[in-house]
Amino acid sequence: MAEDLVLDTAIRDWVLIPLSVVMVLIGVLRYFVSKLMRSSPVPDAKVVREGQIVLRARNLRSAANFIPQKSFRSRRVYYGNEENGLLFVPKGQAQNAQAQMFSDPNMAMDMMKKNLSMIIPQTLTFAWVNFFFSGFVAAKIPFPLTQRFRSMLQNGIDLSTVDVSYVSSRSWYFLNLFGLRGLFSLILGEENAMDDTQRMMQMSGFGMDPTKGLSAEKDNLDIVQHEWVLPKFEHRAEAVLRKIIS
Amino acid sequence: MVSKAEEAELNRLETQVDNGGGGAWEYLSLVRKLKVRRSHKVLNHGLSILNDSRKRSGLGQEEWTLYEQVAIAALDCQALDVAKDCIKVLQKKFPQSNRVGRLEAMLLEAKELWAEAEKAYASFLEENPCDQIVHKRRVALAKSQGNIAVAIEWLNKYLETFMADHDAWRELAELYVSLQMYKQAVFCYEELILSQPTVPLYHLAYADVLYTLGGLENLQTAKKYYASTIDLSGGKNTRALFGVCLCSSAIAQLTRGRNREDKEGPELQSLAATALEKDYKQRAPHKLSLLSSVMKGLKVSP
Repeated sequence: MAEDLVLDTAIRDWVLIPLSVVMVLIGVLRYFVSKLMRSSPVPDAKVVREGQIVLRARNLRSAANFIPQKSFRSRRVYYGNEENGLLFVPKGQAQNAQAQMFSDPNMAMDMMKKNLSMIIPQTLTFAWVNFFFSGFVAAKIPFPLTQRFRSMLQNGIDLSTVDVSYVSSRSWYFLNLFGLRGLFSLILGEENAMDDTQRMMQMSGFGMDPTKGLSAEKDNLDIVQHEWVLPKFEHRAEAVLRKIIS
Repeated sequence: MVSKAEEAELNRLETQVDNGGGGAWEYLSLVRKLKVRRSHKVLNHGLSILNDSRKRSGLGQEEWTLYEQVAIAALDCQALDVAKDCIKVLQKKFPQSNRVGRLEAMLLEAKELWAEAEKAYASFLEENPCDQIVHKRRVALAKSQGNIAVAIEWLNKYLETFMADHDAWRELAELYVSLQMYKQAVFCYEELILSQPTVPLYHLAYADVLYTLGGLENLQTAKKYYASTIDLSGGKNTRALFGVCLCSSAIAQLTRGRNREDKEGPELQSLAATALEKDYKQRAPHKLSLLSSVMKGLKVSP
């Protein structure tokens, strides 16, 4: 690295700073737009009920030993019988649950809204950056880096002779896109943590079968061994009382 | 549940506010957070903030929360005019809000216009069948009319969906006990023990109901749960101690003449009796004679 590239101060004033400011503004704008478009989710009674059933069954499983054998047995039958047990899922229903979720227009609408607010501004800003600021170096980071960072920091410049610590404008855009999360959570409050990466995670979780939880819980409940702990408590109570008296 | 430290803090703030030491807003916030019911104090101190426009505007967005809190406290104290004013202000600010609508329905309830309140709640539920607060209000409505059977019906309907809500189970258990439907109450208390197995109060209540039901098996079970109450509460629960004594003597009466298989029983009983005696000696010596006569009646020798 014999000579340094000298960057025009105009690049700083007209590329680096405006780009960052625009990214912040777009992030804020997107937050408010998505807040406007968000429909307050009305929980489906069936989904709520299933969640509560699972919770209650889990309670039963973990605290089974605290109730008498008879009560436990009757509860197990109540949860798991094949006619109308709480945890029993009829065969046909399990399959079409997913199809039903996809056919639910509200669900699709929500998804679309989320996607719109995520994808449209990103494509637009990317196109804008590409159009105006492509192909030149916009900044230099104050420490040297290895060659591997070239694809990250010099996106859009195909010169292998330029030192890696120079950042191209397009890469600056990407750095901003992924690096501003902390700033947003400062500006917009913690609940803005719904950033892109989390959205992606949510997408992959979508389409999970809610009835699976029920049948898994049923299987778990079926193998619970009931052993009433209360007789032990009598001895423990005796010990406690002895300690008090003495 | 309000922990001891929180309650101490609350009481400290209350005396401070009562003596004009300031901190009314902090007190009200704490009341709201702990969900305790001190309506008179809330009404007084809340109104003093609301009537002072400078203090009120200092709250910012929290102002509306305070209006809601004071409105509910006023309803509780039958200060219907105050409640009406608060609700009117809120209505102006949030014309379409369900939350304000709920307050209006509660105002109807406070005026004992049962049918109208009922209608309002029903329409809320039609709009959003998962509104837990409205469900609970409806139970309370039936209860305040003295219509326990209806209250139980609503509560059961609520629990059909929200079956992990242990406070609702507790309410249902108490309602059943008040109607002397002990078998149903037993189920509810079992549900409570399942959801929070280490709370001694549930064990105690369960044992009480079982003892009331009677029968050898129930009595034996009740004794075990009294024992677990003693263990979980560290032997500090007088009711559980008495319960052990009562159960033991009842069991002894039922099994008289049969061969005794339950050998450990008498020991726990006499231990409980001794603990009771010691407790009475310490805390209420003048009632000691009452205790010993009761114990004599139960044929228990400490």
